[in-house]
Amino acid sequence: MENFEFLRNVTIGQYFQGDSIIHRLDPRAKITILLILVVVNSFILSFTGNVLLLSWCIALVLLSGISFRFMLSGIKPALPLIAIFALMQLFFYGDAYPPYGMEAVTYWRWGMMSITNGSIQLVIVTLMRFLEIFFLVSLLTSTTTTTNIAYAIESMLEPFQRLRVPAQEISLIGTIALRFVPIFAEQMEIIMKAQASRGADFGEGGVFQFMKRTRQMVTLIVPLFVDAFRRAEDLILAMDARCYTGGRGRTKIVRFHMARMDYMFIAVTAVFAVLIMVFRNNFPV
Amino acid sequence: MNTRGRVIIQVNDLHHTYLSGTPLEVKALKGVTMEIYEGEVVGIIGRTGAGKSTIVQHFNGLIRNRERGRVIVDGHDMADPSLDVRAIRQKVGLVFQHPEQQLFERLVGDDIAFGPKKMGLPPEVRRERVRWAMEMVGLDFEKFKDRFTFSLSGGEMRKVAIAGVLALQPKVLILDESTTGIDPRGRKELLSRMLHLNREHGVTLVFVSSNMDEVASIADRIYVIDDGRTVMHGTAREIFAQPETLRRYGLGVPHVTTVAYRLAQDGIPMPRVPLTVAEAEEDVWKILSS
Repeated sequence: MENFEFLRNVTIGQYFQGDSIIHRLDPRAKITILLILVVVNSFILSFTGNVLLLSWCIALVLLSGISFRFMLSGIKPALPLIAIFALMQLFFYGDAYPPYGMEAVTYWRWGMMSITNGSIQLVIVTLMRFLEIFFLVSLLTSTTTTTNIAYAIESMLEPFQRLRVPAQEISLIGTIALRFVPIFAEQMEIIMKAQASRGADFGEGGVFQFMKRTRQMVTLIVPLFVDAFRRAEDLILAMDARCYTGGRGRTKIVRFHMARMDYMFIAVTAVFAVLIMVFRNNFPV
Repeated sequence: MNTRGRVIIQVNDLHHTYLSGTPLEVKALKGVTMEIYEGEVVGIIGRTGAGKSTIVQHFNGLIRNRERGRVIVDGHDMADPSLDVRAIRQKVGLVFQHPEQQLFERLVGDDIAFGPKKMGLPPEVRRERVRWAMEMVGLDFEKFKDRFTFSLSGGEMRKVAIAGVLALQPKVLILDESTTGIDPRGRKELLSRMLHLNREHGVTLVFVSSNMDEVASIADRIYVIDDGRTVMHGTAREIFAQPETLRRYGLGVPHVTTVAYRLAQDGIPMPRVPLTVAEAEEDVWKILSS
């Protein structure tokens, strides 16, 4: 491996300063929109529905002004996995899903394996659904700081506090987890460079030499874990030193106000979602 | 530095951009030029973010130059895509800041032997390398080789980590802020051991630091980097004779040099710019006895 720039590949969880409409939306509105669209995403199985939803997501990305190319580069590390899943669906799901809006046609069959227009549709639709979710989540994290996401989740969970849902703790755990993603990416880069400096070669061994590649990973994982524990201890000390005692009675320095724009965005999304859901079985393909 | 050897690392108008083509793009190097001769001790100083680490990571191919400029290490052009980077990394050892974070083996000896093992050396040779490397950093081979890595103290772990790089027997050793975060005595010991390595074993040292006292006491020549460019270079004495210029680049001079300047202001000029306490002591005695 020649390129150690990990941050290039971690686009989820990376915040980009900006002044777009999407940036300025109330984080609670953004999360609501995300949830609505994720629900829609899990219901639609047709080409038409997914093309509509994917276009919707792309429009949102364009509105945010975040570089499209950079966002897509975040998928790169997951590509081999996606390819394996796609191939498995293509060959082994031929009979499991009848195609939506088409007569079932079998193109090829050999033992357990088959390729039908159902499995081809499944592969394409799955990829589109993956992209939709990926765009939505990246969009939320790249236009909203992690602390704002955490406050938003906390404020959205507040009504459930009477049911003993620890809203503040949940949001805290989320913030910490997200906050550490880029830190560990950076730390991993340093450790990888250090090991490469004393002879480790991370590109060595083909994609399928799992044993060899796993052994290479040991030189990274052990130091990374040691570092993670050290950072966790530091964090505990820092929280203790600031007299952190948990959620009860905490006030906030940031208060959100839902503006007209936020309600409008939610309303438009909701209308779009309802329309798609109502007509989801009426699309031609 | 009158007997200059052969140039072992040559950098010419080097440019580098991190995360190029992304919104996080940072222009780190904008024209660095330097020459490092075999067998000398070179200091690289500059304020935080000046690009020092980026430069030295070019020396062993952790960063390959794809933009303007050239880096030639021991006769090899580092931009050549067919270059055997691992061979370069054996010649040029790089120790990072907090190198103890790279340890992963259970036993000290195994961790130091990682590099030689990767080189494919036979076990006896490996053992010799480990013994030599441990001796160089001041760890007793018999006493430490079978200790648990993670039971060591911070200072010992750092020595193990440096030994892990030395076990490759590099011609050039780069220390990138590797002395920060250890106590003054440990720091002093490490410096003198590295000097020993340079004087007795001919290892070229490249020393990146923001501690001026340290750089002054060890470096023959110094390069000052600011905002990704080489802005000054010369012998340690030449560099620290220009405190005003250094201040412009966010740097100071060694404490003992500051004292000398204060003395000069008060009408007691020193015969030369003292770089170490020992030199200053010598000069002060000279002044007092004359």
